[in-house]
Amino acid sequence: MEITFKVYRKDPEKDGKPGRSNYTLELAEDATVLDALLKIRDESDSTLSFRGCCGRGYCGECMMRVNGSARLACTAKVPDYTKKGPEISLDPLRNVPVIKDLVFDWDAFMWNKIKEVKPWLEPESSPVNGENLASEAEMQDLRKVMSCFYCGMCDEGCTVLPVDFKFLGPAALTKAYRLAFDPRNKDSREQVKIVEKPKGIWDCVHCYEADEHCPRGIEPTKRIVALRDRAFNSGITHEAVARHHASFASSVKESGWLDEGRLAVESEGLTNVKGLMKLLPTAAKALARGKAPIPYMHSKRPDADKIKKIFEKAEQEEK
Amino acid sequence: MQEFDVLVIGGGASGLRAAISAKRAGASVGLISKVHPLRTNSAIAQGGLNAPLAKDDSPDSFAADTFLAGDELCDRDVVRAFTQEASKEVIWLERMGVPFNRDKEGRLDLRGFGSNSRNRTCYADDRTGYIVLQVLHEQFQREQIPSFEEWFVTSLVIEGGICVGAIALGLRNGKLDSFSARSIILASGGFTRFYLPSTASLGTTGDGQSLAYEAGARLMDMEMIQFHPLVFPKKQGLLITEAALNAGALIVNHKGESITDLKGMPRHKICLSIHHAMQNGGGGVSLDLRPIGKEKLRGYFPQTQELLRTVAGLDITKDLVPIRPLAHRPIGGIETNAAGETSVPGLFAVGECACNGLNGAGRLAGNTLTEAVVFGRRAGETAAKHATAGPKKSFPAAKVAEEEKQLARLFSGESSKDSLAKIHSELGHLMNEKVGLIRSGTGLQEALGQIQSLKDRYSRLRVKNPSRIYNYELTSYLELGSMLTLAEVVVLAAGARTESRGAHQRADFAERDDTNWKSHTLVSLVGGSGQLQKKPVAAG
Repeated sequence: MEITFKVYRKDPEKDGKPGRSNYTLELAEDATVLDALLKIRDESDSTLSFRGCCGRGYCGECMMRVNGSARLACTAKVPDYTKKGPEISLDPLRNVPVIKDLVFDWDAFMWNKIKEVKPWLEPESSPVNGENLASEAEMQDLRKVMSCFYCGMCDEGCTVLPVDFKFLGPAALTKAYRLAFDPRNKDSREQVKIVEKPKGIWDCVHCYEADEHCPRGIEPTKRIVALRDRAFNSGITHEAVARHHASFASSVKESGWLDEGRLAVESEGLTNVKGLMKLLPTAAKALARGKAPIPYMHSKRPDADKIKKIFEKAEQEEK
Repeated sequence: MQEFDVLVIGGGASGLRAAISAKRAGASVGLISKVHPLRTNSAIAQGGLNAPLAKDDSPDSFAADTFLAGDELCDRDVVRAFTQEASKEVIWLERMGVPFNRDKEGRLDLRGFGSNSRNRTCYADDRTGYIVLQVLHEQFQREQIPSFEEWFVTSLVIEGGICVGAIALGLRNGKLDSFSARSIILASGGFTRFYLPSTASLGTTGDGQSLAYEAGARLMDMEMIQFHPLVFPKKQGLLITEAALNAGALIVNHKGESITDLKGMPRHKICLSIHHAMQNGGGGVSLDLRPIGKEKLRGYFPQTQELLRTVAGLDITKDLVPIRPLAHRPIGGIETNAAGETSVPGLFAVGECACNGLNGAGRLAGNTLTEAVVFGRRAGETAAKHATAGPKKSFPAAKVAEEEKQLARLFSGESSKDSLAKIHSELGHLMNEKVGLIRSGTGLQEALGQIQSLKDRYSRLRVKNPSRIYNYELTSYLELGSMLTLAEVVVLAAGARTESRGAHQRADFAERDDTNWKSHTLVSLVGGSGQLQKKPVAAG
């Protein structure tokens, strides 16, 4: 079959401006996008830069956008992309600095962020011979999380990264989970402390795009939420967002609905005078419109006791 | 210029383990890898790591199984060291955080694998290699070892017969830099990419062995190349772990008849059985995973299920998987002793690129990953000790300038109308045909002639892409050079061994010849061509 590839180009040694090159070539019916790229480099244009490593879906290196969607070039079968016509566009991943053509900066995108979460275990220095005893359930969960092959699809689909590239992102946060939840890690509080800081778990907007994108069903969002729970349970909650969560939950548990006034005040922190002062202009405006909720002067809603029971039941189950 | 006590070349399991142990032994360490460590081939190893942990097991039993798989070509002292240290290394991995599968008591679960006579293989689903690699990389990062990722080593530097470092090209910045070190450990992986198809990755091109060969080191048992019996035959073959056979999968011919009980046989025997079935039956052979059952397939072979679905479009709970034995990994490589030392002072080798006599003529399934960590640790410690003993040899300042000139030559002049891919494809085809499971004297002679003509064509090619930044035409060019060099060595060694033993089978010498051939083959580069020697198996 004859297919035309429209490939993103960028040359850091020339003007570094994005462009596109078109290549038309003859391919076998079972060709993958990587097969096509290798053929282009060999027969048409040896200046085309792209990465490829294992060639069969194991290693995650050849990630790129094929007709706009992120996927591995080595498992992308050409016929799957030519249903609307014999043209395929190839681009590097979104929201990532591009170095040259389809070669983007994995370090900035992922490897450096993983380094930030202190990605190693501090082993217990016990005099016991032999392996640590561990439950298969715990190990199975870790193996699931460690089946992450750093394909980058979760970070690529993340809705926060385009707005704030400094956000650690689902891949690095999942790595933090792997370490925080490994019972053999003497230092598991370390990872929680790191990710509880700005640009960490609290910056996730739980849009669940990461879970939708992950090809291995690792559910990064679930892991981020688990880290938040761990942060709460360990008393590691410095951020306003954490206080916001705690206040929201308390309010709903006690009265069945949200005490907005209390929420605003407790999110800033009862002793945070500077923060509380910042609320005054908004409070004044709300008062003028007759919409100012007075903190703690808050009635319970009907059936509030039923809602309280739901909280208590959930708390029981967690134990 | 970069300076380290110990320089590790290759970021897979054995390289990372060596780097960690050298650092912990007090040396300053640097690591160079042409791809990021988590993209290396260790990620593809599936089945598990052997260790004689069970109560009814012992290093002696483990050694006996290793000798049997090695068809009497294993060096006893190396086997002894390996089988005695395996358990310690595997426990170390667990303590560093590898989430191995567990039994009901919470201990490491041990499964049957290949021709191990006992259950002694620790595993992490069917992704053991990848998970072990991740934990090694975690500990590597803990040691804060400078890591030069996407750097391609272009030469080793030898001064007065001693290896004093290497020169490498940074793909990202396009610059050549020198890496001075007192100990250089090659951990650069296998070379089976010169078989097409094979289970090799694009970069499995034997650059380390080629560099060592050119630096004067000897290559041992290069004719011993392990074929894997269960490979879905794409160009980059998709391998199914032998643990599937142990779990109940069957190999069936095109009539659906099960090929005689292959469970527990050494790999080369399974390959030969399948090969004969294909020759005699005249049809293809398939793997039937259905007897394992849906639950166990999902639980124990999740990656196998996923990849066969995405790459081959097969549902292993319903479909048969067409398979063929394909070239998998080298058993031979750079000759080393049990401490990882090569015949070139200052140069060490470990892992897939090395050959220390452990595996003989056939590797016991499950030994490879254990080998990577046991000998990785040893090589690191030996290299660190070597680096602190004795005076430092200076790195010749002119070397980088010389290398620049050499590199420039590859870009200059008119390139012939040939292509790298065409030469590679022809090489891959001829190796499968003439240096496959069963070889013959005439076939090997023909192969030698064909390789020489391919080398000639290669020498008339030039690199057309003038850039040095992420120039994969350049790296492919250099990789093809490594493959042509090593292909010739393999053919020479295969031609020399006039017997059939383990992974090396000769149609014209069908029997094992213990009188003349209880020896390793050695090839060294002398006056521009390969010279052959024999080294008797160590009785130890």
